[in-house]
Amino acid sequence: MAGKSASAPMTYNPSPPTQKKKQKQPIFQDVDWVRADDRGFHQCRPAFMRSGAVNAASGSAYAEFGNTKVIVSIFGPRESKKAMMYSDIGRLNCSVSFTTFSTQTRGQGSDHKEFSSMLHKALEGAVILESFPKTTVDIFALVLESGGSDLPVIISCASLALADAGIMMFDLVTSVSVSCLGKNLVIDPTSEEESDQDGSFMISCMPSRNEVTQLTITGEWSTSKIHEAMELCLDACSKLGKIMRTSIILSITSNSCLYCKNSGIKRRGLEALEQMECLELGVTKPHLTLLTTPRIQPTQPDP
Amino acid sequence: MESGNGGGGGKEGDLSGEMEVDAYRRLFPLRFYERHLLESVRPDARPLAHARDTSLALGAVATADGSALAKIGCTTMLAGIKLEVMTPSTDSPDEGCIAIEFYMPPICSPIVRPGRPAEVAPVIAKQLSDVILSSGMVNLKELSLISGKAAWMAYLDIYCLDADGALFDAALLSAVAAFSHLHLPPVSVNDDGRVVTMSKEQVEGNSAKEPVNKERRKLTLNSIPFSLTCILYKKYILVDPTAEEESIMESLVTVVLDTSGRLVSLYKPGGTVLAYTSTIQDCVALTRQRVKELRKILNEALVDMEVD
Repeated sequence: MAGKSASAPMTYNPSPPTQKKKQKQPIFQDVDWVRADDRGFHQCRPAFMRSGAVNAASGSAYAEFGNTKVIVSIFGPRESKKAMMYSDIGRLNCSVSFTTFSTQTRGQGSDHKEFSSMLHKALEGAVILESFPKTTVDIFALVLESGGSDLPVIISCASLALADAGIMMFDLVTSVSVSCLGKNLVIDPTSEEESDQDGSFMISCMPSRNEVTQLTITGEWSTSKIHEAMELCLDACSKLGKIMRTSIILSITSNSCLYCKNSGIKRRGLEALEQMECLELGVTKPHLTLLTTPRIQPTQPDP
Repeated sequence: MESGNGGGGGKEGDLSGEMEVDAYRRLFPLRFYERHLLESVRPDARPLAHARDTSLALGAVATADGSALAKIGCTTMLAGIKLEVMTPSTDSPDEGCIAIEFYMPPICSPIVRPGRPAEVAPVIAKQLSDVILSSGMVNLKELSLISGKAAWMAYLDIYCLDADGALFDAALLSAVAAFSHLHLPPVSVNDDGRVVTMSKEQVEGNSAKEPVNKERRKLTLNSIPFSLTCILYKKYILVDPTAEEESIMESLVTVVLDTSGRLVSLYKPGGTVLAYTSTIQDCVALTRQRVKELRKILNEALVDMEVD
C-alpha cells in the first residue's frame, strides 16, 4: 500500500478553473458593488493577534486576519553561521514558508519566494541591530492559511513576535495593503480581490515614530489615488499598532498569573481584549483558539 | 559534563543545597529528574502515569478539505487533507489513495533551521503512514469515484507548530481528527471527462449533471488508532514525555492501539534500557487507558463542531 503512494500518480484539483474573472470584472468597474464579506471598502477584516503561540521559541506570535492565519517564531540572538563574516552589528535571518494546504490548489504557496526578503527589508530598519552584535536573530514565518494580504499580516505578526522575544526595536512595525479595483480602493483585500486587482499598494511603518520602513506599489496608479491609499494605510497602521500594544500588555499580564491556568482569568482577559479592540478594527474570537492560550509555567518542587 | 552527571552523586548532592534550581536542572539534568522520580512526580507537577492536557480543534483551515489542530501540552500539530483526483491503478480500480507527509518547519523548534531539516521528521512520516494505512482506519474503496476511471487522492500533510516531546502521538491524533473532519465534496464529470466539484446551488437546483458521488459526504472510520509514548528509565515508566525528558532519558516505547483494543504497532527504537516483557505489558495497559481518553476528546471535538 505504501508503494502505491510512493509511485505518486498524476493528480489534479477538481475545483473548477477560474473563468469567472471575465464576468467579475465589470462589477468592480461599478462604483457601488459590495465586497464578498460585506465589508466597507475602507474596513479591515476582523483581526486577532496574540504573542506567545510557540513555547519552544524565544518569542512568537499568531495572527488571524479573516481567513489569513500566520504564525511567526523568533529564535536567538544566537551564533551566526560559521561562514558569515565578522559583523559589529547583529543580523536578521528571515524565512517565510506556506503549508501545502494553505492555498486553494495544493502546494501553490511556494510561489512567493520574495516574501522572505521583503520581510527582512521591512523589519531591519526597526530593529536595533547594535543591541546584539556578532549574533543572528532568526525570524521564521509559516502561513497556515492564505486568505489575502499575506505579506502585511506576516510583517505585523513578525514585529509582535520580535517584541515578545524581547528584541530591542525603535517601534513595532505594522503593515497594511490596499488594492485598486476599478474606481475603488479596498483596504486589506482578500485573495479573490487580490487576484482581480488592477494595482496594489502596501506600506509598512512604525506608527509611533511616523516612519515608513517599506512601500511597495505595483500596477497603474494616479497621484491622487496614491495619496488616498497612503492616508488609508497609515491610518489603519496606527490603529493596528494600538491593537498590537494591547496584545503585548495582555500577554504580559496573563503570563504573570501562572496559577490561573483553568480559572476564569484567561477568559476575562480575552474578553477585555475584544472589547478594547472592537472599538478599533472589529475583532472577533480567533479560529484557532488553541494557539492563543497563555504560556503556563510549571511549578517546580525544590530538588 | 554530560557523562559525569549520571553516576557518582556525592559531589552533586552536596551542591544541590547551594545552587539555584534552574542551574541545578541544567547542570545535572539526570540527578534533577531522579530526585523527582523518587517522589513519583515530574518537574511539571504531573504524576508519572499522567499525560499532559490534550485538546483538539477541528476545521482549523478553511482551504483544506479536512483539518485539525491537536495540542498535547505544548506540542502542537496542524493536519490538513487536500483531495485531488487521480486515475486508479489497474490492480485496484475501485480504490483511492492516501499520501502522508510530516513536516517540521523551522518555527517549531530551535534545532530545526531552513535547509537543515530535523532527522526525526522522515522517521515520524514513515511511522504515521505505516500506522494509518495498516490500521485499516480508512476504507480505500470509499475514496473511489468512478471505478477504473477516477478516485480521490487524499494528501494528508501534518505540520509541527511547536515541538515539545511526544511528536508522534500528537501527529497521529491530529491526523485521525483531520480524517474525521474530512468532507468529500460533490463532483460531476464535465464534457472533457474531467472531474469537477459542484457548487451548492448546482447540487440543490436541477442542474444538467448528476453528482457522481451522491450519498457519501464523510468517511466511515472504523477502528481509529491512538498512540502513547512512554519513557523507560530504571524501574520507572514516564508517560507522554516532554522534549526535555526525551533528551535526558533515551529509551522510548510507542504503543499504538485501535479503538477495539487491538495492537496496531509497537515501536522501541534502541535506547539503553532493556524493556522486559512486563514493562511492555505495563505500557500497553497505560496506552489502553489513554486510548479511552483520546477517544473521548475526539468525540467531544466532533460534537462541538456539529453544534457550531
